[in-house]
Amino acid sequence: MIPIPDRLVGALLGAGPGYMPERASSVAEGVDQVFGLLFWVSAFFLAVIVGLTIVFVIRYRARPSRPGPEASPDHSTRLEVIWTAIPLLLVFVIFAASTRVYLAMTETPPGAAPQRVQVTGKKWSWWFDHDAGKGSKELHVLLGRPVELVLASTDVIHSLYVPEFRLKQDAVPGRFTRMVFTPTRAGTYPVLCTEYCGTNHSTMTSIVVVHPDQASLDAWMQEGKGKEETLLQVGIRAFDEKGCSACHSVDGSPGVGPTFKGIWGKTHDLVGGGKAVVDENYVRESIVKPGAKVVAGFEDMMPPTPLDDREIQGIVEYLKSLKEGT
Amino acid sequence: MTGAPGTSAQAAVGESYLTHGRGIGSWLFSLDHKRIGIMYLALIAFSLFLGGVFAMVVRFHLWNPSGGLVSNDAYNKMFTLHGAVMIFLFVIPGIPSAMGNFVVPLMVGAKDVAFPRVNLLSFWLFVAGAVLFVATLVVGGIDTGWTLYPPYSLESSRGLGILLALTGVFLAGFSSILTGVNFIATIHRMRAPGQGWFDLPLFLWALYATGIIQIFATPVLGITVALGFLERVFHLGIFMPEYGGDPVLFQHFFWFYSHPAVYIMILPAMGIVSEVVAVFSRKPIFGYRFIAMSSIAIAVIGFLVWGHHMFVSGQSRWANVIFSFLTLLVAIPSAIKTFNWLATLYKGHIVLKTPMLYVLSFFAIFGVGGLTGLFLGALATDIPLHDTYFVVAHFHFVMVGAVMIAFLSGLFYWWPKMTGRMYDERLGVASAVLVFLGFNVTFIPQFLAGTQGMPRRYATYAEQFVGMNRVSTVGAVLLAAGLLVALWAFVASLRSGARAPANPWGGATLEWATTSPPPHDNFAVAPRGTRPYDYRGLRQEPGQAGWVPVGGEGAR
Repeated sequence: MIPIPDRLVGALLGAGPGYMPERASSVAEGVDQVFGLLFWVSAFFLAVIVGLTIVFVIRYRARPSRPGPEASPDHSTRLEVIWTAIPLLLVFVIFAASTRVYLAMTETPPGAAPQRVQVTGKKWSWWFDHDAGKGSKELHVLLGRPVELVLASTDVIHSLYVPEFRLKQDAVPGRFTRMVFTPTRAGTYPVLCTEYCGTNHSTMTSIVVVHPDQASLDAWMQEGKGKEETLLQVGIRAFDEKGCSACHSVDGSPGVGPTFKGIWGKTHDLVGGGKAVVDENYVRESIVKPGAKVVAGFEDMMPPTPLDDREIQGIVEYLKSLKEGT
Repeated sequence: MTGAPGTSAQAAVGESYLTHGRGIGSWLFSLDHKRIGIMYLALIAFSLFLGGVFAMVVRFHLWNPSGGLVSNDAYNKMFTLHGAVMIFLFVIPGIPSAMGNFVVPLMVGAKDVAFPRVNLLSFWLFVAGAVLFVATLVVGGIDTGWTLYPPYSLESSRGLGILLALTGVFLAGFSSILTGVNFIATIHRMRAPGQGWFDLPLFLWALYATGIIQIFATPVLGITVALGFLERVFHLGIFMPEYGGDPVLFQHFFWFYSHPAVYIMILPAMGIVSEVVAVFSRKPIFGYRFIAMSSIAIAVIGFLVWGHHMFVSGQSRWANVIFSFLTLLVAIPSAIKTFNWLATLYKGHIVLKTPMLYVLSFFAIFGVGGLTGLFLGALATDIPLHDTYFVVAHFHFVMVGAVMIAFLSGLFYWWPKMTGRMYDERLGVASAVLVFLGFNVTFIPQFLAGTQGMPRRYATYAEQFVGMNRVSTVGAVLLAAGLLVALWAFVASLRSGARAPANPWGGATLEWATTSPPPHDNFAVAPRGTRPYDYRGLRQEPGQAGWVPVGGEGAR
């Protein structure tokens, strides 16, 4: 018997998704289902278009036995309504199916608290600061545990893409972006850059290792640990050097500015109305442009503070560590 | 060339716009829409050639996964120039500026466009823009991609090249705005007596809708590149984070123009398809009003979908959801058009001449291009496919497949009118078949590569994609061969083509009511409006005499 490649079987049964890379994240299956739906809708309409073209050209082509066109109407409101309504209905179905999957893929997956990794893109490599304090050129995650990546860039726009995860997110200088998923298959997968970034754009690659168990991930985390300054250490150093403590306490005591204790994730009322959640982008803005969103009850008096991207990421880690009740 | 009274009718027989005035100056500063159209055509054909050469370098570089034909930097410049030249100097101006200029006044039975001097200004702005693009090459080229995204495009290490390119885009943009103004004014004010809005050929409805986009969207492009220029020179803090700007803002501005620009490209192409499919089916276009209104619908909805280029840029997820819905919605008017074209074939008398062969291949290719757009409009599938070769294949199906094929269809259709010469039908058919085959062989493998995760703008790539890339390169050679055969057909026609009759295809729109080529003033007697798709008043003369009104001259 002739061996039929799995991909071909997949292509015939599941159509489009058969051509996709293997699935290694929680979002892949939903994406592939939508892909399959679109593939079959497209195949149907393409068959109609090409089929009718061929049939009509053969039947109605000019030839000696056919002196001219036959009488036929030049409009039909009923037909127009039909071929407007059916595609419109399909658009609603496609939109609903796709949006449901999309909203799920951008929510933090349920389950254990996510592993947070700060990702930094720069020409032409990736850097991953894992929450256990280890920085690496590779991303290491655990099978079945949700992951939250917070992406930044130090120069131009990059985009982190893992085909096996069906996920992609731009890393934009001057702001933080976010990507969430749960790895569902142990193994090593390529990490690519998909936003054009110059000379070595096509070799700005890395790998993501999905560890099958906690022991394996822990072993990797311990390797060579302590050699480099962790993000948390960078943050504490920046906090001390810039004299932040003059106005912001870290133990909950009141000061000229809001205390940092328990501030991470809190929702603040702002001067002039509105609310803001203390997340990565709020922290960045409050450092670079302190007057933009001032917490109600405080004055707009902080000077803009020149921190580099890594120091801002460090401050974020520091704020996260200052939990209520510790 | 004023003749004595009584001789003008005689002079009109031998004289055409081509012989009216001699010397290079009579062309370069001509106010005649037909001559301006021909000059645009020459420039646009050259741009297509130049962009095609860059494309071939790109395809041959990608023969091997490690690249190797040129350096990474040279490759990056090649794909940038390929995109920039093809988009700004070929597909955007191609059909409106070259063919629209020639045909619009003829189709409304007028002597010229509403503002002939503005038309000439528009042409020279376009020339200036094109010269700056070429100058960009001279100073070393740019490697930013045609999308010019900052911060990369405005980094302080960049010199003159980027400033020349931004200025070139600015000037070409103004040329486009002025053309749009001219067409809208002409269609509003200069229609022949008795030619109502619903007696307009659908090509004019398409150009009218295009004009709306040119007028309302292109200024935003002008503003965007002007801001980019100022940001680069004065560091104002608009787009560059290091000066306090926001690079994503640039993407909003850029796509607010550049997505509607896709409809500046495709709407005129659809207009040509509507003309050709009716003439070569010998029966009225099906659903005239629905085709006309779907052009307007595309122009309007097309303004509201730009955010789909930014689904992974970090824009809010609810903005993504809304843009996704609007994007999927724009598929509807395109579907309506396609079904009406197919219904036009039904029970027709289909004449398989070159323009019609191109249109039939348009149906299949636009079908694929439009349907694969659904994958990119739907959020769940766009996330993995974004910025991969799937996108490259999709927009080539729309912008090259559909637009270039319609451009060629229109060129073969109006060529006898433009030049007064027929072409060798065998060469026309050969070019249509080669272009269709070459196109599909080039771009279908790119859908597969993108689905499997090959990102775009890669100078080197993973070993797994080598087969697809090689097939694609072979296809590009076939496609280039098809285009060269078309060029051969046109050159041979100019050298030794048979004289074209006034109406070689039996068209009922007004451009076929005058001689081929038309006289300087277009019509010996100002025509009245006709029903554009009613072919009952025409009969075919034996031999090469084309179609004439039943009952002789003046019976229409």
